[in-house]
Amino acid sequence: MDTTIYPHLQTGLAILLGAGLITPLLASKRQLAGIVNLLAVVLAGLFFASSAINVLSGPGAPASFDLQLAGLTIPLLVDGFSAVFLLLIAVIASVVALYCIGYMQMAHYRHYSLRGFYFCYPVFIAGMIALVTVDDLSTGFTIAWQLMTLTSFWLIRFDHHDPVIVRSANKYLLLMQLAWAAVLTAGLLVPGCGWGTPLHYIAEQLGTLDVGLRTLLLALAFLGFGMKAGMFPLGQLWLPDAHSVAPSPISALLSGVMLKTGIYGLIRTLFWMTPESMPAHELQYWGMAVAVIGVVTLFIGTSQSLKQVDAKRLNAYSSIGQIGYIILAIGAARYYLGPNAALHALALLAILGAFLHVLNHAIFKSLLFLCVGSVQYTTGTKDLDKLGGLFALMPITAIIAGIAAIAVSGVPAFSGFTSKWAIVAATLLSGKAAGIFVIFGVIALVTSAMTLATYVKLYGMTFTSVGVEWNTDGNAKVQEVGKLMLAPKLLLTAICLLQGLCPWLFVALFGRVLATSEGVLTHTLATPALLATLSERYAGVAVSNASGTAVAFSLPLVMVALLVVAGLFARWLKHAGGAQTRQAPVWLCGYQTLNNANRYLSSHIFDAFKKFMKWTGGNVRA
Amino acid sequence: MTTATLHPIWSYVQVLLNLLVFLALAPLFDGIVRRVTARVQSRQGPPLVQSFYDVLKLLGKENIDSTGILPFRLAPVIAFASMLCVIAILPLAGRATAFTAYADAISLVYLLTLGGVAVLLGAFASKNIYALIGASREMTTMIMVEPILFMILLLGVLKTGSLDLSAVIYGTPMAAFGLPGMVMIAVSLFGLQAFVARQPFDMAEAEQELLGGPFIEYSGPNYALFKYYMMLKQMFYAYLPIAMFVPLLGTGFYLADLALQLVLTAVVFLLIGLLSATHPRYRIDQAIRYFGVLFLIALAAIAAAVVL
Repeated sequence: MDTTIYPHLQTGLAILLGAGLITPLLASKRQLAGIVNLLAVVLAGLFFASSAINVLSGPGAPASFDLQLAGLTIPLLVDGFSAVFLLLIAVIASVVALYCIGYMQMAHYRHYSLRGFYFCYPVFIAGMIALVTVDDLSTGFTIAWQLMTLTSFWLIRFDHHDPVIVRSANKYLLLMQLAWAAVLTAGLLVPGCGWGTPLHYIAEQLGTLDVGLRTLLLALAFLGFGMKAGMFPLGQLWLPDAHSVAPSPISALLSGVMLKTGIYGLIRTLFWMTPESMPAHELQYWGMAVAVIGVVTLFIGTSQSLKQVDAKRLNAYSSIGQIGYIILAIGAARYYLGPNAALHALALLAILGAFLHVLNHAIFKSLLFLCVGSVQYTTGTKDLDKLGGLFALMPITAIIAGIAAIAVSGVPAFSGFTSKWAIVAATLLSGKAAGIFVIFGVIALVTSAMTLATYVKLYGMTFTSVGVEWNTDGNAKVQEVGKLMLAPKLLLTAICLLQGLCPWLFVALFGRVLATSEGVLTHTLATPALLATLSERYAGVAVSNASGTAVAFSLPLVMVALLVVAGLFARWLKHAGGAQTRQAPVWLCGYQTLNNANRYLSSHIFDAFKKFMKWTGGNVRA
Repeated sequence: MTTATLHPIWSYVQVLLNLLVFLALAPLFDGIVRRVTARVQSRQGPPLVQSFYDVLKLLGKENIDSTGILPFRLAPVIAFASMLCVIAILPLAGRATAFTAYADAISLVYLLTLGGVAVLLGAFASKNIYALIGASREMTTMIMVEPILFMILLLGVLKTGSLDLSAVIYGTPMAAFGLPGMVMIAVSLFGLQAFVARQPFDMAEAEQELLGGPFIEYSGPNYALFKYYMMLKQMFYAYLPIAMFVPLLGTGFYLADLALQLVLTAVVFLLIGLLSATHPRYRIDQAIRYFGVLFLIALAAIAAAVVL
């Protein structure tokens, strides 16, 4: 076993905590503080990445490690599963830190000191890293959770002159403390377990309990992590408020990675805290319950997202919806892992879908928040009723936002496609063996059409159509943001495109995760026969059934090639007639001119559908 | 589940044949609808090839760009290209093309969505209120109708346990669909006008009130591409239930199967023409309720197929 894993992890954490002490001293020089913060986060990120890569390239799951800290014993465990989250947090935190340098110089923040901001930023990252590496539900968990929660609370209420923002932040803090209490209670109530008991021991003890108490304890842990992840109905209580009022880079971190720590907890609860001595049918009930919650979350979250006119609220509700897909996939995988071995291949596909969607969502949702942030930076508003026509004014941001928007909608060859494909295929192919999951799959498909509608609206009303020229104060010139804010978005766009076009890379990564983790997923799914059903090639990913026939495939590169050839033909046809092109103003039936009063607002769009879906809540200006 | 293994070259010829059949026949089928409508209204009606002439004429006419931004120019190209891809992967008359093995039923549905996205992109780029109203209605219709189409395919998925297109469309003999199959045929008949965006479900274009909706600012070659896209899409949606539910002849002659399917598709177009000439347009809120009911019936059929 590689001995550098835990030292590198600790070095990274020490750098972040050290930066939290030093950077605030430089806060009066805004750009310098931003650069120091960036350097610290990148340096720490490199240590985390080195630790993660060591784990993932290792021969098997590494041993856990007991950190002695001021008389406390904190068990740490970085297996393949944690390593991926380490990498994800390291990448997004570094990119967002780069974005912060430019964004925090926004005119609106002129009178705010950045001291608190640059104290909280690295400590927040350290908290998230700690949360995905501690291996208990008590001492280490408490330290990590509180580091993450308290600092993110201060980051959310950064713009504290607005009482609405302070109220949202307070609500966030309160609910996260409840979630902490729920998980902590679950960890301490298990007989024979106390402060600092490692997770595998808790799981063993849970196996010896009677059903009632076990269900209660698992449910408590599940509620706690579900609250963090944004599960229905708990997510609706805090998520849209908190995510929409935080500074945009912080929103990107909240949606992109902080929600994923909740998902991390859910997966740990469902697959690591459920001992194999538990009866199979009880585990299947858990899978079913989680899948139902996932379906409700994805449907309700997305339909609420469709109704929003505030760009950041829209993104926040959409995060709930996308998290719903992940929860559905986790639940389906848990259910399929039952005694029916024929379903195990689908369990593999479902958990692969969850894994891919965690990575894809982290990238495209961060990107969307950064784009909305850029729009807010330059226009001063995030109200879709006031925006419009930015494509001509900030074309690079517009194209980047377009890629992110079609990625979240799951358009073929972009990153959301393969993950949603895996989740939907895993539910549909179950057929008669798990009938209700087919219905879940249909609902997931309906929902992805609603996601598309949501992002067509966001994109259309921000970047195309018209409006912004009438709704910004005259002295602010709307223009493309600087290179410092474009660079991080371009980096994320590159990753997003890579995820879309080369899903096989991430399927291979998933294979390493299984190989370097312990637990039921590895024991049941990482068998050669099952892994053989999932073939990855350069063109994409295919799933075959027991007899070796391919039954589902996602081949983005082929699709892109087809589309390009067809597009070239279409372009040829368009020019074949030799028609002339002329610019002319829009024609509004002769007697109207284009102005702010003659505009179709974002809040009017899908009006009939929004009324039809009124029962799902989250209505705006009803 | 492909009927026979053919020489690889042949499967590429098949792609061209698919495209040729659709590109050549889609305007003619559109002509049928126009002709039927005219007859119902006691008019002579245009010749069957009129829609061809329209596209050719539009290709040569002046292209007026009211926005000057890329999405506006790109939208018709994406829409047309996405539909060509759908046709290229479609196993026409039971025979897989070279590309059928690269896309499953989920990919097909998402490709169809891409065409819709392109229409919306163009509409939103248009800066025109009517285009936006049309886009809003088009998207609403898409949300409700696309899942219904998918559930028709899903019946085949459930029977064969595969998402492979040849298996989904041709893998199950009609009788094996049983009661859910009968319900789904009814659903596809009642959803037909919505699939092809004809009256009473042409709220998005609604010439009399929205003057073409999403396409209002388009002219010349751009509009020609959109028109061709709409005709191809219409033919695809009319063809799909035929392919799903009418068994192949089993004579082994590909052309006989193809001819039968196309004749039946023409009959479907007669029906489309009759229905659209005799039904007034729904309001969008009425249409949503109609689709809602249709959706629930289709979902019930799927549930029955899972249980039975």
